[in-house]
Amino acid sequence: MNTKEKNKVPLIEDMFKWPSDEPRIIASRCKKCGTVSFPKLTFCQNPSCEKKRENIEVIELSNKGKLYSYTVQRYKPPEPFRYEPYKPYGIGMVDFPEGIRIWGMITRMDNLKIGMNVKTTAGKLYEDEENEYLTWMWEPVD
Amino acid sequence: MKNREVAIIGCGLHPWGRFPEKSQPELAVEAINMALEKANMDWREIEFIAAGSPLWVYDGEGVNNCLSGTAIERQMGNIGVPVVSTANACATGTATLMVACMAVASGEFDVAIAVAADKSAMGFFRPQSRNSRYDPDYQRFVMTGYTNPTYWGVETKRRMEEVGTTEEDLALIKVLVSKAGAKNPYARYKKVFTMEEVLNSPMVCDPLRLYEICSTSDGAGAVIVTSLDKAKKYTDKPVIVEGVTIGTGSFGDQSLPLYMLSAFPRPGVPTLTESRNAIARTYKMAREQYNRRCPEDIDVIELPDNTSWHYLVYLDCILDLKPGEAEEMIRRGDTDPIDGKIPVCPSGGLASCGESVAAQGLYQVKSAVDQLKGEAGESQVKKDVKVALAQTYGYAGNNAACLLSRGW
Repeated sequence: MNTKEKNKVPLIEDMFKWPSDEPRIIASRCKKCGTVSFPKLTFCQNPSCEKKRENIEVIELSNKGKLYSYTVQRYKPPEPFRYEPYKPYGIGMVDFPEGIRIWGMITRMDNLKIGMNVKTTAGKLYEDEENEYLTWMWEPVD
Repeated sequence: MKNREVAIIGCGLHPWGRFPEKSQPELAVEAINMALEKANMDWREIEFIAAGSPLWVYDGEGVNNCLSGTAIERQMGNIGVPVVSTANACATGTATLMVACMAVASGEFDVAIAVAADKSAMGFFRPQSRNSRYDPDYQRFVMTGYTNPTYWGVETKRRMEEVGTTEEDLALIKVLVSKAGAKNPYARYKKVFTMEEVLNSPMVCDPLRLYEICSTSDGAGAVIVTSLDKAKKYTDKPVIVEGVTIGTGSFGDQSLPLYMLSAFPRPGVPTLTESRNAIARTYKMAREQYNRRCPEDIDVIELPDNTSWHYLVYLDCILDLKPGEAEEMIRRGDTDPIDGKIPVCPSGGLASCGESVAAQGLYQVKSAVDQLKGEAGESQVKKDVKVALAQTYGYAGNNAACLLSRGW
């Protein structure tokens, strides 16, 4: 029996802070106008801002936000999405204090409510022989 | 159009459905044949071609998708005229019409054709690359399992909380629209649904049920335009294009263009700005040149009922409604597709067709043209139609609107 613990790695690097006891979304912010973008952008998305790389800084968002709204994906999406073993999942958008609203899976699909407090966490999508592949998820804390 | 008036003189469709035995360019040829026949015109009279490119570069027919115009012209026979291929997701069909109209309005060309064929990917749409660094569609899909209907489910749930939309409202929309689809020979689904059937259909993305979300289809459309002064040579009933445009969003929008993982909502910026910008620009074109009172002058609407939620928010955008008014309108039957005060989707809408993504805008335009000319057969609305509006909703914030009126 293989007892070796698998590496827990983000499926795509650099979208949320990992490894971490307190995973946070990695975003970009414009030093001139304060616009926050996720995934992080090279240039500010505000049409009034100059398109200069040096105007952008990388930030970690607060780890708590409020659920804007949610749904449940009842049917299995096609490849390349992998969530194994598959089961329906909650999914929704969260408003962060930095003014940005972000998508993510939710750690449960029942007892969800618009406006509830959630925190950013990491959850497993699937695994292979070497790794467990993670993404960011919203965990209700109310 | 400012420089010279443009009119539609012929429309053609390939029926909507599934046609694995035909290629996309073949579907397009059948639509073009019908449009040419309606315009009493030979292929060699076409001076400019604007073709719509479907998104399915990987899942679809490869070069027939990204170079759709090249492929379609080859099937029709090369005539050496300029061809552009354009991709605007679900707004593609109307984008081709915009390009064709601009070509004629400029005075550079007298006769132009807008054409699009699409064999849309089945089921939930998925990304067309495996590029985790640069393809945002791939990123959103694998990291969050965010299918298009999840976004619509999220917004529907929010609307229920804010506006008081009910599950019965969502089901009623399918019931209303399906009545018209049953009468349209080009629609894919001819079944008239009952409230009970819709409410008993499986939940897909709460609160949206299977029959409240459109499917995907194969189809093709073609529309031929010329200047209004030359149109009488081809038809007794030219249809004026008062306004046609693509819309994109405004910075700070409250809503999310599909595939994007975040929004940065700014105070004072509404939702669905790509839709509002398209409709505002179309109204502006019609007001400035034709003194059109918009939206009061609109007699019939083809809107993008990708889901029942879309039907409601597009009523909001097109008619500039206050929260909850759209729900009141459908409950009163104001939007009945045949005998409503303001009939909506007499073609049967996306609910009865399924969306053939790149071609859908041209399907709507053809339906609106038929209504204006009184040639919609059993789907002809009861009221007298002088002005018709068609609007599409699209992936990634691509929108389109088109306002048409009688030119005779």
